[in-house]
Amino acid sequence: MIGTSSALIGAVVLLVLILVWIRADSTSRRLPSTLDEWLPDHGDAVEVCPPEFVSQIFSGQDLAFISRLESPDLKRHFLRERSAVALLWVQQTSVAIRRIMRRHLEASRLSEDIEFAMEARIFLQYAQLRLICGVLFPLIGLAGPQKLHGIALYVDSLTQRIGNVLREFESAAGTREMDGA
Amino acid sequence: MSATVRLVPVQEVYDDLLNRTLSRISCDLGRLIYLASTRDYNTGNYYHEGLASRFSPEVARKALESAHRQAFYKVSGFSLEDLASELEAYLRSTRENPQEFLRTWQKLEPYRIAIPSEVNLTVARLFTSNLRLALAILRSRQEPGQPHR
Repeated sequence: MIGTSSALIGAVVLLVLILVWIRADSTSRRLPSTLDEWLPDHGDAVEVCPPEFVSQIFSGQDLAFISRLESPDLKRHFLRERSAVALLWVQQTSVAIRRIMRRHLEASRLSEDIEFAMEARIFLQYAQLRLICGVLFPLIGLAGPQKLHGIALYVDSLTQRIGNVLREFESAAGTREMDGA
Repeated sequence: MSATVRLVPVQEVYDDLLNRTLSRISCDLGRLIYLASTRDYNTGNYYHEGLASRFSPEVARKALESAHRQAFYKVSGFSLEDLASELEAYLRSTRENPQEFLRTWQKLEPYRIAIPSEVNLTVARLFTSNLRLALAILRSRQEPGQPHR
């Protein structure tokens, strides 16, 4: 009996998670087209969001201020707006991570002295980031960005770290090329 | 060496802009709107008559572009509470009818033109989102009990 009810609860939770994920995913897919209507053209340049803004998006400070105003209408408006910004950040970060990794793989293919331990570490960090970004989509819809401040900062610092490793890797490859020439 | 030679005049122009013009504007949002207004809508180039004649159009353009980006990131970094105060200060400085101002800003969203051309997409979205919220907050203070979006 316990087994059946546990399985039932598990199935319901799973179903809710899938529905929330689908909703968050479709919201995030709609974001660029909405933004393209008026935001400046950014072309291919995917720039990682500065850390202080990541902290601000996921901070509880603005929510505390809005809550003090005691207006359910404003609070709903705030939660909707901030979740949309947070989802855009996750989407932009996912694109940046994929782009960083693609460039790293291209650079690695051309490199003669690959350190497998370092490559494995970078790949694990990449997989971890992709997983967290995938989980963040439904979590933002479920819990709100304010409860995910720590995770967002972790994702941001890991993305910056991978980006720095790539820059070092590319600069070292450039130096080797110049030495060889 | 050439980078130093190029950078010094831009900094000089930037300081001039700060001391002669921007310091006279009472709030950061006002400074941002002013700097955005020095950008040509058709070409995206910045132009300021006084700066261009005192220095050169090219250096003036660079200084204005840099000042615009800095002002944008500063305003985007404000908490919602601070942004609502900034908006209130800007509204007062325009001497327009507050209700009319708030309605027009909510409808036309003219602050979108304040976004520089090369800024992070998420920060740009945060900026417009926060301004929408700040407008709703001010409107709720002006007209309590009304829906504000």
